[in-house]
Amino acid sequence: MNKYILGATLAIGLASCGRFGNKEEDQQVKGERIVSVSKQHSEIMYALGAEKNLVAVDISSTYPPAIKKLPTVGYHRALSLEGLLAAKPTLILHDGHSSIGPDHVVSQLKQLDIPMKEFSVKASTLDSTILLMREIGSYFGKEKQADSLCRILDADMKLAMEQAKAYQHKPKVLVIHFGQASNVYLVVTKKNTGAKMVEWAGGTMAVDDPKAMKQLSAEVVAKSDPDVILLTDFGYDRLKGSSDKISELPGVSSTKAFKNGHIYRVEEHDLIYFGPRTGKNVLALQKLIHPDEQVQ
Amino acid sequence: MSRFNKQYTGVYPILLLLLLVVTLLSIRYGAVEISLQEIYTSIRNWFTSSESMTLNERIFMEIRLPRAILCVVVGASLAVGGALMQSLFRNPIVEPGLVGTSSGAAFGAALYFVLGSAFQIPTAGEWALPIAACLGGIVATFLVFILAKSKHTGKSSIVALLLTGIAINALFISGVGFMSYMARDPQARSITFWTLGTLSGANWHSVLIVGLTSVVCISLALKYTKHLNALMIGEEEAQFIGINIKRLKLTILLINVVMVAVATAFTGVISFIGLIVPHLLRIM
Repeated sequence: MNKYILGATLAIGLASCGRFGNKEEDQQVKGERIVSVSKQHSEIMYALGAEKNLVAVDISSTYPPAIKKLPTVGYHRALSLEGLLAAKPTLILHDGHSSIGPDHVVSQLKQLDIPMKEFSVKASTLDSTILLMREIGSYFGKEKQADSLCRILDADMKLAMEQAKAYQHKPKVLVIHFGQASNVYLVVTKKNTGAKMVEWAGGTMAVDDPKAMKQLSAEVVAKSDPDVILLTDFGYDRLKGSSDKISELPGVSSTKAFKNGHIYRVEEHDLIYFGPRTGKNVLALQKLIHPDEQVQ
Repeated sequence: MSRFNKQYTGVYPILLLLLLVVTLLSIRYGAVEISLQEIYTSIRNWFTSSESMTLNERIFMEIRLPRAILCVVVGASLAVGGALMQSLFRNPIVEPGLVGTSSGAAFGAALYFVLGSAFQIPTAGEWALPIAACLGGIVATFLVFILAKSKHTGKSSIVALLLTGIAINALFISGVGFMSYMARDPQARSITFWTLGTLSGANWHSVLIVGLTSVVCISLALKYTKHLNALMIGEEEAQFIGINIKRLKLTILLINVVMVAVATAFTGVISFIGLIVPHLLRIM
């Protein structure tokens, strides 16, 4: 009997070796092969129409939907060296050494002289987002497209700011990222990019901390008593959006948001970073967090 | 640490061959396709002119080969460490981590990840992490040794050592947990990688350091085979046949802590190997 088990294990082991066969990709992109490990850069490249030479992205690059057809190289903070190099990159785009890792993979990439580029602008405000879009635009020779993206963003933001003034009430918003893990929630704080979008949408953040995201216990969530709770896609989808399941979340069920049914789903890529769609996302967020007072 | 059983002498060359085959397979296959031709030229170029090497040749020579060698060396260190500990404690479920070495090293590393930059430690470059881990491992092991010492007899009984080891282990693992709770996202990820154990950071420096320590410690350990076999009969019995138990314990612990702390410092915590390999070999 044992012999059979051993034989079967060996056979499975040998068969699975095919996975590492690395058949050459049929579709070879001529010229540059770019791997983007920044979700913000990936989205801007698509918006500019500069995605032609993009051959792989990190797993958090999820917008636009077409990006999901590209192979992924892991999460930008947990990259695997060989996974990354299997995409045969001639250029790796990233947004700073603090956002890529682990450290030993970064030093191995440097050791192998893999070209890596970091754009000089860090888009953490609206103005710097515009600068970043222009910088990426000029890097890929898409200045005109960058211009039009900036104009759209500007116009959307003007409209959003105008509308935000009309709201009487400033709801307190709690953003829970990834949902519940054991009994703590990863909560977005006032220092996060998402917080600025909530504020532009005419809301206030329920939680503040020196860190951009904070793990909070159910008690603190209950005490913060937000008017609206936004759950990012991963956490919300795990609950299948059912109010029964949401009511079982410790701490959440005693909040005003739950009692009034103001718990909504947001896409992570609409809230966590700035990009060409930020203006539109703020407008959508306004409708979401002010369900009871619609501006005409 | 029993002597080799003659009945199974033929198995050893087979195992050695198997190790060689598995090592060769692991350097041949990976996410990046490297042909046999490239492996050959990379070895040739390594000795002649390393500047003219292609990317694939460099991946093989600077990433994959050191990783495979480090894997073999760390495996050997942990296995011998496990055999040492199992004989010393006369307990079949002991592994090197049990006297606090691995968890102490993990805590040292976590402390470095989270507070290293805050304290502005004069950067020892890539050595800072291994040094922090090594110190953590040594501190934890000696803490166990000191706490396990009985006030009345001045000796540390094996049971006391084992229990203190488990207690210290639990304490340091909670410390690692607390550090990763406090840490920012990239730091927490580094701690996670490290507590899972990874060989992907291997380079020739780490192979050299871990290799040298292992060779020295393993040859020292083999010298104590007979002493440890005598200890297996019983602590007092071993004393009757003229073995200095106190010194033996200290020496074995020292060999173990150096070997395991150095290996752990470069690869993170790798468990189970130290526990199971001595048992597998004991069957033979």
